Amino acid sequence: MKIITSPASGSIIARTPRRFLVASLLVAAAGAGVLLIAASPGPVSPSGRLLASQCFQCHGTDGRAVSGFESIAGKSADDMYHSLLEMSLRRPENIMDMQARAYTPAQLRQIAEYLSTLPEAD
Amino acid sequence: MNANRRTFLKMVGLATAGSALPWFLARGAASPRVVVIGGGFGGATMAKYLRHWGGNLDVILVDRNAEHYSCILSNLVITSAIPVERIMLGYSNLQSRHGVVFAQGEAVAVDPSARRVTVRVGSDAHEVPYDKLVLAPGVDFIAPGGDYDANLTPHAWVAGPQTLLLKRMLSGMSANRTFLLTIPPAPYRCPPGPYERACAVAEYLQRRKPGAKIIVLDANPGIIAEPRNFGNAFRNLYQNVLTYVPNAPVSSVDSAARTVTTPVGTFRGDVVNIIPVHRAGQIVTAAGLVNDPSGRWALVNPLTYASTVHPDIHILGDSQGTGQPKSGHMANAQAKVCADAIIRAFNGLPPDPSPVTSSACYSPITSSKAAWLTASYQYDPDSGAMRRVEASFGESAVPTSDGAQQMFQWADNIFADSFG
Repeated sequence: MKIITSPASGSIIARTPRRFLVASLLVAAAGAGVLLIAASPGPVSPSGRLLASQCFQCHGTDGRAVSGFESIAGKSADDMYHSLLEMSLRRPENIMDMQARAYTPAQLRQIAEYLSTLPEAD
Repeated sequence: MNANRRTFLKMVGLATAGSALPWFLARGAASPRVVVIGGGFGGATMAKYLRHWGGNLDVILVDRNAEHYSCILSNLVITSAIPVERIMLGYSNLQSRHGVVFAQGEAVAVDPSARRVTVRVGSDAHEVPYDKLVLAPGVDFIAPGGDYDANLTPHAWVAGPQTLLLKRMLSGMSANRTFLLTIPPAPYRCPPGPYERACAVAEYLQRRKPGAKIIVLDANPGIIAEPRNFGNAFRNLYQNVLTYVPNAPVSSVDSAARTVTTPVGTFRGDVVNIIPVHRAGQIVTAAGLVNDPSGRWALVNPLTYASTVHPDIHILGDSQGTGQPKSGHMANAQAKVCADAIIRAFNGLPPDPSPVTSSACYSPITSSKAAWLTASYQYDPDSGAMRRVEASFGESAVPTSDGAQQMFQWADNIFADSFG
């Protein structure tokens, strides 16, 4: 079996006549000089998304909880920001008061803005 | 992987017999490929978020088992409070909802210059090419000196068969006998976990095994996580059954005789639960990536989790050496930072310069009350390290019944965020 190296990714694929289509696709991608990811419209990494994803362990992927904890997607960004800011400033009593203290006010604002763009839970 | 993609791969001939790679490992599209080794919380979250955020990236998740048993909640399986099915997490959602390709196999070697990982599937070894490799294998154990056998003195620190073995030993223990638990030196997986286990076992003995005792031999100088809640429980709730011995690292073990020797004496138990010293997972060591001063962990750039040895290999969770706590919650947190950085890199962008990782967990103190522990980490550009935000670090004032309810809700949500 012959192997060829894709100039785009440097990875190796097996080349047989039936696989020529795949090789052609790789060469086409290399020719364009990019490795853009076709199915992700909008920014590659929207502002606030990575920070907000730290909420998802408890509040569910994309802010939609599966059990118990509040869903946090699609709420007013201002309301969310002020709630988080209050948690970070008041005397700490519950786990969210501690969690909110992990972030700067600017980061809390980014989190609130990003969460507000997500579709609200059913 | 969805049916359409599988059909497509078959159409283009990647499923045919005689191929160097089986269909699920063969390169199927022009997208960059990420191979993720290890399907625990870190690896599963990594595979999921690469697809969730990264569109049609070619993502292969490899684990030696067909499903994952969560260490989170596993102490409650040992005391028969919950069934083992409650901690069994499969990979079907990652495949059907997110288009991750799952391969049951074992990564045995890495060729960083060729960017290929050798995956053993059954009796066959396959050379799998990657653009980025992510290693999230959890921990490996350093066997204690003496005549040690994990089948006689289980750790139950990787959930699954070991959990069930310890459960059987505990339930079969006679009254008036002794349960011996050893805690390794930090860092180890799940800082509160051994103390939580001590509480769960102590309560079980009080209720079910009259006259029985638990001795906790801690290699550390004191309770290293949730000292208030575990300390109160040890001193008050479990005073009549639990003896806590700090500064008692294991120097040797005789598993058949069920004895443990430490600098403060030799102890014998009827059930002996030895949690050995930890180090990075075997594939991380095999790939030559262990390079921290302790010789146990792999140093990474915390903006990307890229190895400081090979930048196209990323290391997540328990095996990495950033000093962040080793836990499922933390591995999930790091996986999101790593996934975002890899997606950015494929698009020619630098990583996020100021990531935060967040850790939270609930520990059962009794069968009806749980405490919580939380800590978060910000990237510090001056030191290039993740630094704990001290104001975010702490434990609950007391264990509560609300906490016990939240513990199961937390577990449900982190299970779903990682595997769902």
